Amino acid sequence: MFLKIMFILAATMTLGGAFLTAYTKNLMHACVYLLVSLFGVAGLYATLGADFLAATQLVVYAGGVVILMLFAIMLTGGIQNFVNKFGLDKVPSMGNGKTYTIAGLSMIITAFIIMKVLAPIFKTNVQGELPAFASTVEEIGVLLVTDHVLAFEISSILLLGALVGAAVISRPRRGK
Amino acid sequence: MNETVVSYLSQAPGYALLVEKLSEFFGFDAEGFVTFLIFALVCFVVVNVMSAIGGLGTYAERKISADLQMRQGPNRVGPFGILQFLADGVKMLGKEDILPAQADRFLFLIAPLMCMVGVFASLAVVPFSSGLTLTNLNIGVFYLIGVSSLVGVGIFLGGYAANSKWSMLGGMRGASQIISYEVPVTLSILAIVLMTGSLSFNVITDAQGGLPHQWYIFHNPFTFIAFFVLFIGALAETNRAPFDLPEAESELVSGYHTEFSGMRFAFFALAEYVEVFVVCGVVAALFLGGYKVPFDLGNGELIAKTFPAIHPMLAKQIGNVLQLKAFILKTLALYYVVIWIRWTLPRLRVDSLMVLCWKYLTPIALFNLVGCAVWLWAFEGKSMWAMIFKSGVAAAGGHH
Amino acid sequence: MISLTSYLIISFCLFIAGMTVMIARKNIIAMLLGIELILNAAAINFVAYTRFVNQNLDGHVMSLFIIVIAAAEAAVGLAIVIRFFQIKETIHIDDATELQS
Repeated sequence: MFLKIMFILAATMTLGGAFLTAYTKNLMHACVYLLVSLFGVAGLYATLGADFLAATQLVVYAGGVVILMLFAIMLTGGIQNFVNKFGLDKVPSMGNGKTYTIAGLSMIITAFIIMKVLAPIFKTNVQGELPAFASTVEEIGVLLVTDHVLAFEISSILLLGALVGAAVISRPRRGK
Repeated sequence: MNETVVSYLSQAPGYALLVEKLSEFFGFDAEGFVTFLIFALVCFVVVNVMSAIGGLGTYAERKISADLQMRQGPNRVGPFGILQFLADGVKMLGKEDILPAQADRFLFLIAPLMCMVGVFASLAVVPFSSGLTLTNLNIGVFYLIGVSSLVGVGIFLGGYAANSKWSMLGGMRGASQIISYEVPVTLSILAIVLMTGSLSFNVITDAQGGLPHQWYIFHNPFTFIAFFVLFIGALAETNRAPFDLPEAESELVSGYHTEFSGMRFAFFALAEYVEVFVVCGVVAALFLGGYKVPFDLGNGELIAKTFPAIHPMLAKQIGNVLQLKAFILKTLALYYVVIWIRWTLPRLRVDSLMVLCWKYLTPIALFNLVGCAVWLWAFEGKSMWAMIFKSGVAAAGGHH
Repeated sequence: MISLTSYLIISFCLFIAGMTVMIARKNIIAMLLGIELILNAAAINFVAYTRFVNQNLDGHVMSLFIIVIAAAEAAVGLAIVIRFFQIKETIHIDDATELQS
């Protein structure tokens, strides 16, 4: 019962946030709706018994990625020219009716393909008793340094590379 | 199943009776209903008490600042002016709720609420006592870091939405400061998590003792430094002086909440004061023994043994009240230090703020983390007092 | 009843929304928002399969790596966007037509 209410709440947040992210014309609002959607995803993780992942989702997205996005919007907003270098009218940056039509059509095709793939799963959806929720922190910790230790190390190198790369790229160039 | 305030209260003899009576009354198993009822009641109490503490925080701030500057401070409303915050609240409610014409309406409305939600959601895991923890999550520390980062988003959006230059600068400063200082804060919290091997606040608190030499702050030299790193970082994360750049009165009129008036401004102020309380509570729980009372008076076993006449549950309740007092005492002592620092130190510049974070605190916190790991490996997690005591005994034995 | 199917449908809708954002928008930051949605859709699938099909926690670890990669991608992507803005003074995707600046 409680789980169901939680699930419906989280699903509504996720899908509503995602829909509004796609719908709104204001980039700042889109970012806030994305935050709502990501919180909903954290709620879905919680209903799936993935407590550590839910907290990680909150820490990384709410604390890091969304604020970073907001910062980037603030640093790049302002100048808007509506013609490109050939003097032709550009598509507005948040899309217009034409782009949405194209996106909608291609999404219908994609949806049919994915549904074709998912259909056998929907048909054979038998499940027994689900295990009770347990703490996953210790098990994830053990898995990270035993089974997945190579991926763990590679991801740490990736993060270091991203850190250095982001600093180097966004640094203003000398003599310019 | 995590330990919650309900599972603590369910040990009381009245609980089973209540469930039984209600089940008879409603005709279905009322266990879930009673759980919900207790949670709702305790949440209501905690939120209201915290709001009162946040309000009293403004009073304490004014009174202590007056004391430090040899003034009287508020003294008209109630005895010693203690009802000043209620008067302020009524004044705030009566003010007009101004929405600037150029403002981004939607963001302007939700920004103060985001701050409030972030702070009050983090109250769910603050360990007030071993019984009165709303829920003892096994990822409590992590959850708190995640939820309280909503405050940064709220401040940033508040600064953006008002569409004024002061607000914009304040919001930008606030967000950059909060995400920068999250790094040393998290690293120094990780040092304690490393020592304990758990992310749950209650487990961390239970690993410490009631007396100062059993606290984690005096466990080894690295945790001693980590405490100060965490405290400085917490000051910066809650935008308190000397790091109150987002609301620097002398440069940006009042920073990100320049354009807010009435209850919206009050939400920001309340969120800030409650967040200071939460942060002080977290520092107390992680480093100063939290709710631990000396000589294990807190778990009620000693009381039950000394006075066999009273019910063991009553002894437990007395122990819990003692624990609550210990926690509040430690937290308020830190709260006093925060206010004291605010009225003593001048404000930093923006660049020196970032230099302090990235060039000093973060390397120190990293060094501490490695140091704690080495200490754990080398001395098997013994505290330095235990080792001094042991070597002292060995030296005394050697003289014979 | 909450089953694997409901989670798959949610993740499917999230993926569709993310792809729509990526195709319909011409602002690079808005497209990055779409990428975040798509990555989250994938992560939900991993965790849902862990819960309902096989109970070892490999799916959780994979989702953890997805979150890590999403964070790294956002950092580098936004750095590139800011650099692009410094050079071109726009972040419209149709202006990114040259390899060299």
